Amino acid sequence: MHVGGVYKLIAVYINPRLTGAARQQQIQMLIQKFHLNQPIYVQYFYWLASVLQGNLGYTNTPIFSGPVTQAIALFFPNTALLAVLGGILTWVLGIPLGTWSAVRRDKPDDVAIRVFSYTLYGMPIYLIAVILIIIFAVWLKVLPISGTVNPSLLVGLPWYRNGISYPTHVLLIDALIHGDWYIALDALKHIILPSLTIALAVMAGVINILRASMLEVLEQDYVRFARSKGLPERIVINKHARPTAMFPVYTNFAYTVAGLLGGVVIVETVFNYPGIGYWLTQSMLNNDMGGIMAGTLLFGIIFVTTSLVLDIVFALKDPRVRLG
Amino acid sequence: MAKGGLTSRILTPERKLSLQVFFSNKLAVVGLVIVLAYVADALIVQFAPWLIGLKHPFEVIPDYSNPVPQPPSWKHPFGTTYPGIDLLRAVIKAIRLDLGLSVVVVVPGALLGIVIGIVATYFGGWIDDVLMRLTDIFFSVPYLVLAIAIGYALGRTITSMVIALIIVWWPLYARYTRSVTLQVKELTFIEAARAAGASNYKIMFRHILPNALPPVLVQMSMDLGTIMIVISGLAFIGFLPVANIPELGYLTTLGLNYINTAPWTVLVPGVFIVIFAVSVYLLGMGLMDVINPRRRSSL
Amino acid sequence: MSGGREPIVTVRNLRLWYYTRRGVYKALNGVDLEVMRGEVLGVAGESGCGKSTLGLTIMGLLPRNAAIVDGEVLLDGFDVVKPLREYYKKAKRFRPDKNEDVLKRLHKEMTRIRGVKVTMVFQEPMTALNPVMPVGYQIAEVLLQHNMSLLAKRRLARAKATKDDVKEALNFLRANDYAGLIEYVKAKGLEGLEDQMLAIWRRRDLHDLVKEIRILNMCCDPVNPIIESGLKYTARTNKLPAAPVIRQLVRRELVKEGYRKAAEFLGLLDMPEPEKVVRMYPHELSGGMRQRVVIATAMINNPELVILDEPTSALDVTVQASILELLNELKQQTNAAFIFISHDLSVLYQVSDRIAIMYAGKVVEVGPRDAVFKEPKHPYTQMLMEAVPTLEPHELKGIKGEVPDLRNPPKGCMFHPRCPYAMPICREREPPMVDLGNGHRVSCWLYSGGERK
Repeated sequence: MHVGGVYKLIAVYINPRLTGAARQQQIQMLIQKFHLNQPIYVQYFYWLASVLQGNLGYTNTPIFSGPVTQAIALFFPNTALLAVLGGILTWVLGIPLGTWSAVRRDKPDDVAIRVFSYTLYGMPIYLIAVILIIIFAVWLKVLPISGTVNPSLLVGLPWYRNGISYPTHVLLIDALIHGDWYIALDALKHIILPSLTIALAVMAGVINILRASMLEVLEQDYVRFARSKGLPERIVINKHARPTAMFPVYTNFAYTVAGLLGGVVIVETVFNYPGIGYWLTQSMLNNDMGGIMAGTLLFGIIFVTTSLVLDIVFALKDPRVRLG
Repeated sequence: MAKGGLTSRILTPERKLSLQVFFSNKLAVVGLVIVLAYVADALIVQFAPWLIGLKHPFEVIPDYSNPVPQPPSWKHPFGTTYPGIDLLRAVIKAIRLDLGLSVVVVVPGALLGIVIGIVATYFGGWIDDVLMRLTDIFFSVPYLVLAIAIGYALGRTITSMVIALIIVWWPLYARYTRSVTLQVKELTFIEAARAAGASNYKIMFRHILPNALPPVLVQMSMDLGTIMIVISGLAFIGFLPVANIPELGYLTTLGLNYINTAPWTVLVPGVFIVIFAVSVYLLGMGLMDVINPRRRSSL
Repeated sequence: MSGGREPIVTVRNLRLWYYTRRGVYKALNGVDLEVMRGEVLGVAGESGCGKSTLGLTIMGLLPRNAAIVDGEVLLDGFDVVKPLREYYKKAKRFRPDKNEDVLKRLHKEMTRIRGVKVTMVFQEPMTALNPVMPVGYQIAEVLLQHNMSLLAKRRLARAKATKDDVKEALNFLRANDYAGLIEYVKAKGLEGLEDQMLAIWRRRDLHDLVKEIRILNMCCDPVNPIIESGLKYTARTNKLPAAPVIRQLVRRELVKEGYRKAAEFLGLLDMPEPEKVVRMYPHELSGGMRQRVVIATAMINNPELVILDEPTSALDVTVQASILELLNELKQQTNAAFIFISHDLSVLYQVSDRIAIMYAGKVVEVGPRDAVFKEPKHPYTQMLMEAVPTLEPHELKGIKGEVPDLRNPPKGCMFHPRCPYAMPICREREPPMVDLGNGHRVSCWLYSGGERK
């Protein structure tokens, strides 16, 4: 049943497994309990209050039906893994490319890297995903494009019951924990394309910022001074120029994380990857209030926490900032 | 020899130098040309679709007699996508919609942000604080997610998508304008203006605004690209519950089932987004070169 | 003062052009100059006359849009600008990125010279120092790159020396018998010890007793035997040992030693509390302190030539005075040559042995300091001297006209548009450099008849 209008918020709390009279009863009770005869902002306040008490309501989507808290526990670890892998790839690929592009200014390598990063910058994430799919799954046929693992491998596993793997709910990690290398490899193959997609999307910005920042730093006196000491170019770049050039990258990291999280939503949808992004999209398509409310809240919390933590870490790294 | 008259009054030496700097940047010129081409497309489709023989400029017409995507050919230069939609026509129509939507999001969002930014920063005090908290809230959620949430609350239509994106985007401009306003506010010529009796309103809009404008304009032009990407992304995940709209993201979804056999169905619409975004970015970089005096004198 | 010495730097007919968006600036137009070993050469001129560019060229630290059109710069026999000159002569069109390739190869070759034979002190100490590195490390970096064996030897000496060794060495110091000290140290196999002792002994901010205590503490500082063998290897070969873990441990020890030596050197430069300062960051120091750090970096590895580009211009006058005093002392104590670039003639008077005057990319006059200051021959020099305020009041005369636009330098003598003695020939041909005796040379048509003093 679709509850709309002023009563929209109730939808969160209707246990989808109830039907008929029992359902009507619950609805009436909920209307009473949640003051739904009162304006929407009051309702919102009550929702927030119950959230703080741990009750996030129910969600009803094709991929999952049940308490929101359970959905989060199920989907969040996957998204976390994806985001972390994507972040690592961004770092590992983006930083060297950005540095190299600045050092080899205007040479063919620089031009190539710039073309590459500008193009990536202008690409919607789903397009990157689609192109990767075409290359790796259609032409080369080496990587799968859906889900986290080949389901046939999961039959009869002791640590996998009812679609949930234990103990961490993340197939890849659980497989590693249990020493099941074959499954772990398969899971890895499933996660490469999604994380690569995210990494490519975010990398464009990182490369651009780093390149511009490095070019500025390389004009600075202290780089000339380092050269005047007779230090080899490699040390000048890696120990003197780049650490200072990284600061704009760090300060812009909040936006990078925002991009990452937004990207996660689309990427998971394209690859049918069971994370909170996919869940959010499904909630949207099915008008599932619980999913959307909880999903938004979740993303907000994640973003704020990560930005805060990263800000602190990067501020500590900068000797020009001294706390207190 | 210096000539009098209109030409040399419009083309002051300052402006001439700016034009020179801009046009010396070949990439920026290419960007400009492409952006203008897109704008031309949008205008023609909007106002004179008969010029290029479009009978249904605002929607995409499927052909169920031939639903399977066809590869590029003379009849269909970009091929067709499911169900039987000619991609060339579809893309031409879609450019108008996407570009139009981007403009409708960026311009009001920027205006809103600029005004709020200047006013709040200029008056300072608690108004400024409230502004900062507000922008912080909006920054704290990734824009895609917030757009989804707002879209849900207001119903999933094009209008609500535009409203959602405006709401998500104006804080950026408020922040931007804020930093410029803070700088300019303390400059002595503001004091001089005040001493001469200028009202607050005048100061804000005749003195501060012109200084804030150039970098903001550059940002706006680059945002046109970014917003187009976001809009198509939302359309791609199914935000708009309608079929047959000429929208580049939506067109991509039509081809998803045919990735193996007909890759052009997913690539063509996306490519047109990329071309626009990159062009607008190059254009923005070219403009930045013009307004930033430091970059002019170095090689 | 400059007779009988050999040149460490010879510049001949150096021409350098900067290619920019606004045109081609002819920054150097045939510079001829020599710097003798052990002397202080002052280079004077207004802004834009090319003196800074000259300094950078000697170091090979040019931006990529600087083209060497002609000329040579011989640094101890090595022609620094040769590759750049050859590129320019071969290239049909000057391209900065191709020039940059040549420049990068030049950097590679010069890593053996910079920091060892020649170093540079920049004008703005705040920008010359890396803001996110402790200053001590930046000083020690020179040694860690070029002279690890010195650091290794010092450490080993302290480990090996006994209380008695140190006491005996102290006796040599008290007697001011430096030669004897060095022999003693060699005999006992304690090389590296004298370096540390002298550094402490020469400080002026410590009481003698404090010095003695510190020196006596330079013994009995044993080192882990694993590290010790690595250090011995480094002391012998000036390289880090190859073995993975030992390598890191030895390097850490060397870095610590580097900090120590940096602190010692800063003490010699009258830096208060040098042991604390070496761990601090540039923004925590005052301008005078930062400049001392930069000078320490330049001198810690005993270079043969130090180029100072307006080292005092960014500092206020009192600090300036102390830095100049410092430089004069360093001049006495080392046998390095100095090129002191400045627009401030009064500063140059205090430190230079010889002085060169530059205008619009050329050296117009050069000679012993007193000769040039008291009897300037070139009209430009004469006007410069009259424009300097001194304690005895005299009429301050400015120089009419403006510095020429180097994109379009004047034909003939660069100075003729502003010269009160300009003759027709000045407008047509560049005057040759003429020797007036005693090493005093002028480039001016007034003297080209070989007019001698």
